[in-house]
Amino acid sequence: MCVTRAGKAVSVSKGRARVEFFDGRAMDDVDVSIVNAKKGEFVEVFGNMALSVLTASEARARKKVWGEVQRAAAIQTVGAPRG
Amino acid sequence: MNGNGILFHAKHAFMPNLLGYCGPDERGRIQQELEGGKPGESLVRTLEKFEAAYPFLKLIARGAGREVFDYAVPEAYWIGNGLLAEVPASEFYTFSHRELKGRDPRKVREVFKELDGAAPPHHSFYVMSTFATSSVPDGPNITNEAHRKIAELVDNCRISWGTVKKVGKQELQVESRPLKAEDGRLALATPAIRQVKYNPGVRPFASVKRGDVVSLHWNYACDVLTPRQSTNIAKYTAADLGLINRFLASKHSRK
Repeated sequence: MCVTRAGKAVSVSKGRARVEFFDGRAMDDVDVSIVNAKKGEFVEVFGNMALSVLTASEARARKKVWGEVQRAAAIQTVGAPRG
Repeated sequence: MNGNGILFHAKHAFMPNLLGYCGPDERGRIQQELEGGKPGESLVRTLEKFEAAYPFLKLIARGAGREVFDYAVPEAYWIGNGLLAEVPASEFYTFSHRELKGRDPRKVREVFKELDGAAPPHHSFYVMSTFATSSVPDGPNITNEAHRKIAELVDNCRISWGTVKKVGKQELQVESRPLKAEDGRLALATPAIRQVKYNPGVRPFASVKRGDVVSLHWNYACDVLTPRQSTNIAKYTAADLGLINRFLASKHSRK
């Protein structure tokens, strides 16, 4: 199963990009040719292909969601904070 | 511990993990445990780290009152069975917002609103809905090549199935129906022959033979399906396609 990830295309060459995701991971060789993403743009990636270019506000919202999900996962793992 | 359910799940989760698309970087462990055929707690811990697949199993297990790795639970998720209908739409909706990493909440709302509670927690539906809610399907200048690439992506990522025609050492020749994207719709194309990888060290592939039906994920044969599973995967995939095309038609008509 593939997870939809959002991140920034930090380098683009011939329709392929290195994308740094909001979850801290990165992937080389992402196909951004269909959405014609440029260096510095935010993209939504599924598998190894970008399916959407995100606006800055959409990207901010996605980053916020990721942060909330990560915090929720951390709480589930270590238990809810006290006090 | 339900060993069969764990192995069935691991077999289908293996290839996207190997490719780096989901789950932790513990591919060696998954392969080792699959080949050993006796899953241990360490495999369970690894499978629990999958960002999407494991939460889906928990959702189905909750709805059906089963354990997460009860064989029927991962079977429902990857192949399709009656347990999918036991997950209330409202729970799936809440889950998609709160537990499923990576999805844009607005897109989740869009799908659930249009399909009015019919969205199933089935892997192929998740894959197709990701495509359907992306900006690609309604791109103004989408080319045939782009259509081909998208169809290939969705086809690889969904669980498909094929009938074995020829058995090689590391590859199987199978006949299957690939997905095609055409005129803003998804459909199964006519049967075609393709080569897929398999691991003869994973049971029951040492005895795989011509005529067997196998499940496929990212050009990898995951398991040999029973006749009931073969019927179910076709049935649930057809239902997923029907829902997605309904969603796409509505999306296009709103433009």
